Amino acid sequence: MRTTRRELLAGAAAAAAPLGAALPLPAYAQARPLRVGILAPRAGVAGTVGEVGLKGVEFAVEKLNAAGGVAGRRVELVIEEETNPRETVERARRLALQERVDVIQGVVSSGVSLALGPALEESRILTVFWDGTTQDGVNETMPRPRWVFRSTDNECEAVMGSLMAIKHFRGQFLTVAGINPDYSYGRNNWAAFLALLRRFNIEHRVVTEQWPRVGGMDLTANVAALKAANPDLVFSSLLFADLPVFMRQAHAAGLLEGRKWVFPAAGFQHTALKKEFTPPGMVFGHNTLYFADPQATPLAREFVQWYHERTRDWPHWEADRAFFAMEVWRRGVEKAVQAKGGGAWPSNAEIAEAIRGIEVVSLGGPGRMRPDGVAEQTFIQGLTVHDPRYDFPILGPDRITRMDGRQLQKGPGQDFWRWIAEARFDL
Amino acid sequence: MAALIEVLAAGLFHAAVLFLVAAGLQLVFGVQRILNLACGSFYALGAYLGVTAGGLALGAGLSPLLALPLLVLAGAAVAALGPPVERLLRLVYDRDESFQLLLTFALVLMFQDLIRMGWGSQPQQVEGVYLAYGQVQLGAARIPVWNLLVLAAAIAIAGGLGLFLQRTDFGRILRATAENRRMAASLGVDTGRVYAAVFTLGTALGGIGGALVVPAAAAVPEKAVELVVEAFAVVVIGGLGSMPGALAGAAIVGLLRAGALLVWPELELLAVYAVVVAVLLLRPAGLFGRPAA
Repeated sequence: MRTTRRELLAGAAAAAAPLGAALPLPAYAQARPLRVGILAPRAGVAGTVGEVGLKGVEFAVEKLNAAGGVAGRRVELVIEEETNPRETVERARRLALQERVDVIQGVVSSGVSLALGPALEESRILTVFWDGTTQDGVNETMPRPRWVFRSTDNECEAVMGSLMAIKHFRGQFLTVAGINPDYSYGRNNWAAFLALLRRFNIEHRVVTEQWPRVGGMDLTANVAALKAANPDLVFSSLLFADLPVFMRQAHAAGLLEGRKWVFPAAGFQHTALKKEFTPPGMVFGHNTLYFADPQATPLAREFVQWYHERTRDWPHWEADRAFFAMEVWRRGVEKAVQAKGGGAWPSNAEIAEAIRGIEVVSLGGPGRMRPDGVAEQTFIQGLTVHDPRYDFPILGPDRITRMDGRQLQKGPGQDFWRWIAEARFDL
Repeated sequence: MAALIEVLAAGLFHAAVLFLVAAGLQLVFGVQRILNLACGSFYALGAYLGVTAGGLALGAGLSPLLALPLLVLAGAAVAALGPPVERLLRLVYDRDESFQLLLTFALVLMFQDLIRMGWGSQPQQVEGVYLAYGQVQLGAARIPVWNLLVLAAAIAIAGGLGLFLQRTDFGRILRATAENRRMAASLGVDTGRVYAAVFTLGTALGGIGGALVVPAAAAVPEKAVELVVEAFAVVVIGGLGSMPGALAGAAIVGLLRAGALLVWPELELLAVYAVVVAVLLLRPAGLFGRPAA
């Protein structure tokens, strides 16, 4: 008798059905490791940032698995590269559909997360961003997403840097200049700085605004223009490799002497800013992780040591963002499992609901996921000193300021500029 | 006055680097009639070779003050790519310009990936060279010595190229080939050899430009594309295929950019490309180019 393929498959299915029915399915499912899809840049100007974030994830997963996993299930990582928005959306779909990950974490560029957010929300894929927002400039494009959780506003560091400038340099400057990257981040940071000077009635006069392209690298003409404008204070949210290049060229041209400097995003490349061309006394932003924080938790100290042993370098805030994303997801899963009373594994919708409002202690300090799906974390900035233990400036231990994200970020549904004009800031 | 001197020096530093890349582009177009977009890649490769050579030499105890000749040699080493790439380009010498552009752009993307494979994706720098040379004080103006050395090197290379093209037998052969390839060939000139030599020289110029700028900046794989756009602005202003045009075009672009950043920074790009548009409309062959017959 000749058996067709269809008959063979039907027979096999019939034979397997009782076997399947006899298996304890929930326990079988729970034995499967939880799969976490990671999207991180590995190349280009943000490549270093992605690598530091991946180290944060690696550390978090190592600790989780050593402690028995998340609600008893081991965690596995599936890593994909974050590139441009279109490709990254495809990779995120692949993570969800082919790799069947339980959650997606990562993303550094807001340009990517702006495109990725709506796609993942529509596909109902649970996602926690490291550093990507869903803001178009300073305007929220996804007011109350259900599945997508995003990082703090990019402007938090500029708001804090501006407050620090006012706190430390008030009365010591009249003329101000800006050199900021030529895209919405740089433009909004500079506008926020000026808005806060007005808010605190600080008399000032803008003498030049420089807008170099990201990755432009030759900043000698910008340096000459800044020097010609002779400002008392310079505010700069330059970041990535552009900042060390700028500092070296500015030092060689004698621009750094006799001025106040505010660098809210400098922590992204702190170890590349060598002491020979980076003077003490600058406002220096480490965002949500300062590697030499005297108030660091034992876990944060352990991470810094762990990172240094592996890379011979000191970590920056992307490691904390990655750790924070993993931590809010873990706490959300455990809360949802507990709510189920140990029965069936919670659905992703239940986990997403559990993440809202959750409080965690990340590597840089306490933080939370707001009910509207926006993270709030602790920010650290201070004035630099030269310490013989390091070849780059660190923060003076007595000149460190910590601020909670609540003080640095607009509330749900608020307009950023109106918030700056009306919020109560505690210096 | 001090500010003006510093802005002028910054503009000329940028112009010097642009000249080296544009000179290679001009040389190749002048003789081979190929629009070589890959000149930006040779610049990027020069920068990375500079990083490697500089790192190794300084690590072995070489004085940073000897970095200049070392970096010139490292950049010139990119010339090794000249003959094989030129061999590849022979396939499109007689084809439409769009084929040449597509092929050389494909090379840009391939070199970009090769750089990532060889050096990784992170920006790389040569530490300890730029500041080791110190600064010169001209009244109240302070100018980094490295910037002046790069400017001097570009002027020396421009002068050397001029002498080579005007005063040597090979330079005359090269100009004759640029003027009329078939006539030169019929007079016994090995035009294949001339083409390979010209392309190799153009490659070396781009590489030297990249290696000389890296102590002041950083090497990034993406720089190739950005630089080639600026180099094209230089050749459009100066005139395609003209060496004095490359010099004048680079000076105009470098100084315009620095001047715009001083007066009205928002106009940095607009100022340069407004001149490009004006030249294309009023003098399409460029300031030093010869109008097509």
